[in-house]
Amino acid sequence: MSFVARRLLQLVPVAVGVTIIVFFMIHLIPGDPARTILGIHATPKAIAELHREWGLNRPLISQYWLFLDRLLHGNLGQSLIYGVSASSLILQRLPATLWLIVYATVLAIVISVPLAMLAASRRNGLRDQIVRAVPLFGLGMPPFWVGFLLIYAFAIHWRIFPVSGYGVGIGGHLVSMFLPSLTVAIALAPVVIRSLRASMLSVLGADYITTARSKGVPGRRLFIKHVLRNAVIPAITVLGINIGFLIGGTVIIENVFAIPGVGQLMIQSIFQRDFPVVQGVTLVFAVLVVLINLLTDVAYATLDPRVRFDR
Amino acid sequence: MNNTTVFDNNSIWIFEQIYEPLFTVTNNGKGVRPYLATGYTMSSDKKTYTITLRHGIKFSNGKPMTSADVKFSIDQNRKATKGWAYLDSAISSVDAPSPDTVVIHLKFPWAPLLADLSIFANGIVPNNYDGQTENAFYQHPIGTGPFKWDYWHKGSALKLVRNPYYWQKGKPYLNSVTWTDVPNDNTRQLQLKGGQAQIDQTPAWSTVSQLQSTPGVHMFLFNSTQTNYMSFNEKVKPFQDVHVRRAISLAINRDALVKAVLFGHGKAANSLFPPQVPYYDPNTPGYQFNLAQAKAQMAQSSVPHGFTTTLLLPAGNSDYLTIGTILQSELKPLGITLKIQQLDPNTANTDQQNLKYDMTLTLWTMDIPDPDELATFAVDPKSGAQSFFTTYDNPTVVKDTHAAEQVTDPAKRQQLYNAVQTGAAQDAFMAFLYYSPYPYATTTNVHGFYVTPLGNMHMEDVWLSK
Repeated sequence: MSFVARRLLQLVPVAVGVTIIVFFMIHLIPGDPARTILGIHATPKAIAELHREWGLNRPLISQYWLFLDRLLHGNLGQSLIYGVSASSLILQRLPATLWLIVYATVLAIVISVPLAMLAASRRNGLRDQIVRAVPLFGLGMPPFWVGFLLIYAFAIHWRIFPVSGYGVGIGGHLVSMFLPSLTVAIALAPVVIRSLRASMLSVLGADYITTARSKGVPGRRLFIKHVLRNAVIPAITVLGINIGFLIGGTVIIENVFAIPGVGQLMIQSIFQRDFPVVQGVTLVFAVLVVLINLLTDVAYATLDPRVRFDR
Repeated sequence: MNNTTVFDNNSIWIFEQIYEPLFTVTNNGKGVRPYLATGYTMSSDKKTYTITLRHGIKFSNGKPMTSADVKFSIDQNRKATKGWAYLDSAISSVDAPSPDTVVIHLKFPWAPLLADLSIFANGIVPNNYDGQTENAFYQHPIGTGPFKWDYWHKGSALKLVRNPYYWQKGKPYLNSVTWTDVPNDNTRQLQLKGGQAQIDQTPAWSTVSQLQSTPGVHMFLFNSTQTNYMSFNEKVKPFQDVHVRRAISLAINRDALVKAVLFGHGKAANSLFPPQVPYYDPNTPGYQFNLAQAKAQMAQSSVPHGFTTTLLLPAGNSDYLTIGTILQSELKPLGITLKIQQLDPNTANTDQQNLKYDMTLTLWTMDIPDPDELATFAVDPKSGAQSFFTTYDNPTVVKDTHAAEQVTDPAKRQQLYNAVQTGAAQDAFMAFLYYSPYPYATTTNVHGFYVTPLGNMHMEDVWLSK
């Protein structure tokens, strides 16, 4: 069986494990979605009626089997708060989150690669010192603070970008999502720069690079075709792991920039005890993390022909 | 969007733009004025109201509104088992003898009737939901209001567009209104400053003064019916002891709370009722800060040397945490050690309603321009809310509350409600903390924007200048 197919099959036990943990955890937290809907006007009769309507009066294990049975038929259940399918809510929000993740990754690469090359080309020189030190600010500053600084500068003062939101159409998304994606990229870049710089320096000391230089390969071509191509592999692993963390971290950025994504949906649903949506979003997050890890491994194999995962 | 069962304010204020009631709240929040109705007559026994409907009103699908729609709408609210039906509990039946007349029969004289009819839950929808099921109708609701449904991206944004059949000619002025869910206070403010939004609903109190001096921004503090209280659970010792409750109420420096939480934009509360509610009594002797008297009450109590107790708060509410922190130091001179327990909001709410708390903070805003809703909810242990979840039970106060419901003479009602307010204040079943306005910030090109003390906003009156 091919490597990719095997890895995709691994999704199944991961998903089942996630459903068990999330289902029972969210039900263990005190708090009642019926009371969220009914507010302070809740009467015991009204609460009991909503519980009956939603099946929350059944034993927990029987609620779990019902959830699993629906899941096997592609049904994530119905939002207790909005009365629509949890999957439709998630699908509506997923594009915004995917935009954030992909756009932030692209920007992180655009920032990291040239800076790492700049640093590696003059080891321990002034450029190297600056490139190593300055991005650490991005690592140290809380993302929400970086976000607000960018908004003040580029949305309020210079009015180049909107303050928040997702925008309409591809052009609208590119403009509206630039600042939130840049906020994330500023946090991602320092780690990628340092990793890429370190592996570039390691590659620069290799015999084949010395051979290429002595054969007269120009500096730029040497860096891009020989050094970068070999040095990027460990950095891809670092990037892949951080994107996995980023998926959970979308909550903060989506909150600051009012992006209608899955992270924001998750927080709202937890507060409202909207069990089906919490379960659905957690499953989506788990699947995304597994897929990103898979993509990282595939990229690894693509860039390095020596790496083969098939037996 | 089901107006008969929804309780959250944002949903209510939105669908008030879609559905309209027969009577609406006056701008000062203390009465009603005809809206979809033009007037009414009352029978001599005060049990029958004959209401005349306004001519020429159409729903947003172009169909005319008639008494059949009104009868259907009120009957639907009366039937709603998990909603606002209790407000219509005095109604025995509704008739529609002619297309422009509705007759409401009451089980007994009921003074709050017109106020009850002004609530959003009694907003008029098409008869039989215009041939749809209830669930299908409320996915794309139809009403007579100035705006009609466009889309709702759940949890994120909702847009209404102009109703071309609106009965107030020339209105609404706006082509559309979009509500976006922006949980972060700072982001909302930035959207206002950046021109991405025109109205910021409830900016943080700490930013009000700054917004008042921000160019291009108009900061409003509308009179409201919001009152903040601290509840005592009388099922937990020693809060069944009136001297303990009085002592704590007397130890609270309300002006300090107003300064710390509202940054000065509020007023110490003296009564269960807020000033914008009809029959509010400004002379209600609600306990105010007096440490000597607090100590004297404590000395008379069952715990003269003090005790340890817990204040339940919803996590993430910085205003409540500030109040709790101030109370910790204010109650120390009485020998009371106050621990603060923060739980996630849903859990805190559930615990409060299940009476699993010692003391907690709570608030109220009026839904109708009549004190009956608040009085019944707050002082009647059999109301379903167990006296605002305190289990307070003073039979005299309860009797006066229910007597006031069936008396239509305003002077007599005032007398009865004065007695209710005084009784509730003297019993100190809750500590009345402060009254606060509704803060709204708009860009200066927004005109005609107004929020009544009940929170209603008539967006048909709003327009934008260039």
